[in-house]
Amino acid sequence: MIPAEKKRADANPTKAFFVRMITRDITLEDCIFDLVDNSIDGAWELSGGHPLSLDDKTNLSAYKISIRIEEDRFEISDNCGGITLDDAVEYAFTFGRKDKAETENFSIGVYGIGMKRAIFKLGTQIDIRSTYEIDENLESFRVPINVEAWLASGDENWDFDIEESEHLDQKGVKITVSDLTEAARRSFESPRFIKNLRRSIARDYALHLHRGLVIEVQGKPVSGWTIELRQGGDFSPMRAQFENVMDGERVFVEILAGMAAPPPNDSEPSEDFDDDQNTSGWYVICNGRIVLAADKTTVTGWGTEGWPQWHPQYTGFMGIIVFSSRRADLLPLTTTKRSVDETSAVYRQFRPKMRETTKEWISYTNTRKQIREEAIQREAAAKAVPIFEVAIRQEVELPRIIQKTKVPEANVLYTVPRQRLRSLASAFGNINMAYKDVGLKSFEYAFKDLVGDE
Amino acid sequence: MASFDSVNYSIRPSKSVQRGLVFEGLRRIAGAIDLGNAVYVGFGSIWFTDFIQAHRVLEINDMVSIEANEIGFKRATFNKVYRTISVMEGRAKTRLPDVLGIDGFSARPWIIWLDYDSALDEEIVEDMQWVVTNAPPNSVVLFTFSATQNAYGKPVNRADRIRALLGDVVPDELSKEECEKETLPTTLAGLAADFLKSEVADAARPGGFIEAFRLSYLDSVAMVTVGGILPAKGAAAAARAMIDDKCWNGIVGEIIEAPPMTLREIATLQAELPTVANLTRARIQELGFDLHERQIRSFQQYYKYLPSFAEIVA
Repeated sequence: MIPAEKKRADANPTKAFFVRMITRDITLEDCIFDLVDNSIDGAWELSGGHPLSLDDKTNLSAYKISIRIEEDRFEISDNCGGITLDDAVEYAFTFGRKDKAETENFSIGVYGIGMKRAIFKLGTQIDIRSTYEIDENLESFRVPINVEAWLASGDENWDFDIEESEHLDQKGVKITVSDLTEAARRSFESPRFIKNLRRSIARDYALHLHRGLVIEVQGKPVSGWTIELRQGGDFSPMRAQFENVMDGERVFVEILAGMAAPPPNDSEPSEDFDDDQNTSGWYVICNGRIVLAADKTTVTGWGTEGWPQWHPQYTGFMGIIVFSSRRADLLPLTTTKRSVDETSAVYRQFRPKMRETTKEWISYTNTRKQIREEAIQREAAAKAVPIFEVAIRQEVELPRIIQKTKVPEANVLYTVPRQRLRSLASAFGNINMAYKDVGLKSFEYAFKDLVGDE
Repeated sequence: MASFDSVNYSIRPSKSVQRGLVFEGLRRIAGAIDLGNAVYVGFGSIWFTDFIQAHRVLEINDMVSIEANEIGFKRATFNKVYRTISVMEGRAKTRLPDVLGIDGFSARPWIIWLDYDSALDEEIVEDMQWVVTNAPPNSVVLFTFSATQNAYGKPVNRADRIRALLGDVVPDELSKEECEKETLPTTLAGLAADFLKSEVADAARPGGFIEAFRLSYLDSVAMVTVGGILPAKGAAAAARAMIDDKCWNGIVGEIIEAPPMTLREIATLQAELPTVANLTRARIQELGFDLHERQIRSFQQYYKYLPSFAEIVA
């Protein structure tokens, strides 16, 4: 007989579990990006923009996000409107998004863990301050979090205290983290980490930066990547737009694909072939954020369902698929926002279109090998155009190259004493004849004698 | 040609200033962190100038000199100034692991100064990586290389060359102007320091890397010295406090260019020093000769480290 008090197994979560688990499978850089995403969501909301397509002209130049990294401290601040006290009380600090929480604002946050995960990954002394406007009045609060004390206080109370605070210089949020974790401290000591962070911001937030948003690292603004496809001559990138209704909500999809750079003339990986530098491959963008860049793996189809695996021969191809929706949970992004949820319905629906385009390119690079010089000339006529200026076109256009019928060839290689070869060259009338020509001439001689006319 | 065949490099005045600053720094580091029983590793050449300093100033006995040149190795073995110096033949990249393998050396701090006379190249970068990854706790590491501009290619290609050597620490926007004759030493010094910091951070050394030396100097060619401390975890705070102190002289922003001066000029100027105010050009002219402002500043700053040279006619 089970005693009454033992008829229920304790399934309550522990704080320590959350802190350990949610910070495990995400990089420090992606955690910082979660904080940037929150600021960007604020900026979009204030600007009233709806980033449905690349054609969107919303101006974000009034908004600035500043990141400052020191060896013992991290700080991010913005002027993107701040968190209201109500939102702080109800949603912002909850672990996981509540069912009734607002998700219909084109945000990139889906799961309601970004900020918590980021601050836990960064350090143990946290100060979150917000200044916002309500009824034309400025209001402010702060949430100080001492992670060690919070963990030590037991699993009964998960709440964070909210305190009065001075106003920030601008309406926005300022998060300061000190007592850094070992991983954060190590990375922040590395100038390489900071420079690579700038590079990743330049790439992953290229679309926001293009609209004027300012993201500063160490006081210096980051310039966004210019994403370009080549157009002109026989080349036209594809740019097709689609609209889907899922779960009663619209999802906009835009696919761009084509030649970003001429393919290599030597398809063998050379010494200077550098994966990191190589921008070829598929890009997946969800509500403005590049969640997957230059992908050459099965995630974007390479090596699956009859697609060949990526090969350096395909270098030069760039495909971009843009998903936008009021409801971020309909978009195919993972919780780390660094990859695609391959099981997502909308993603699976559009993958065949990605494949068609990719196959066009694969076929072009195969036939190109036979008319390399002509192809190089044709490719030179295509000029780089920013993706925002690419015209709508349902399919990618590449030069139609008629394959020449190829006569199978055989290479002959043999070695003979040099003196004998020289004697034969002399018998052919030229002692200085190249070895290759002696070989060819002797083949023709033997062929004519033994085979006769073809 | 090996550098010992071209010049006795112990008599280059700016080099003497740099060496003076390095050893003054090392002496102070020895006061802040435990360098007891340290090993000195370097390229002693046939002159062993820095080895003599290491023995006199830091009281280091066990020293290893690596010599790649076959004749240089024989001459170095002949010329070694103390019994406790071991001369090893070969290139640093092959011999450094052997130094680490010497009984007990992996548990003692190293003062390692790889003082190359050539420009930064892939081999030097690999040596730097090896040293900051493998040097025992509380080691002090220094690297010197040439910053002569032509060794890094044509002006338009220099940024790419430096990027190929030092990788992601080199900003994408590194300009041609930052790689010109006058600017290249400072640019290289900064980027090499960033490279060392990043390598140590990636290797997760418990005490991290504390930059302690960044010196550019010019005799006939521009040279750069970068380096720092790889403290044991417990020693990091003390080491950092010492370097952050404003009296620390190991990090110099401008290029050290000691003026070539006669013994009489040196003696005359030295008699005016030390002084709180700056020596003026007018005052030099009053004393009966003349120097450029840049030379006066350099002399006043570094006179304590300047050597006096005289030719002895036997």
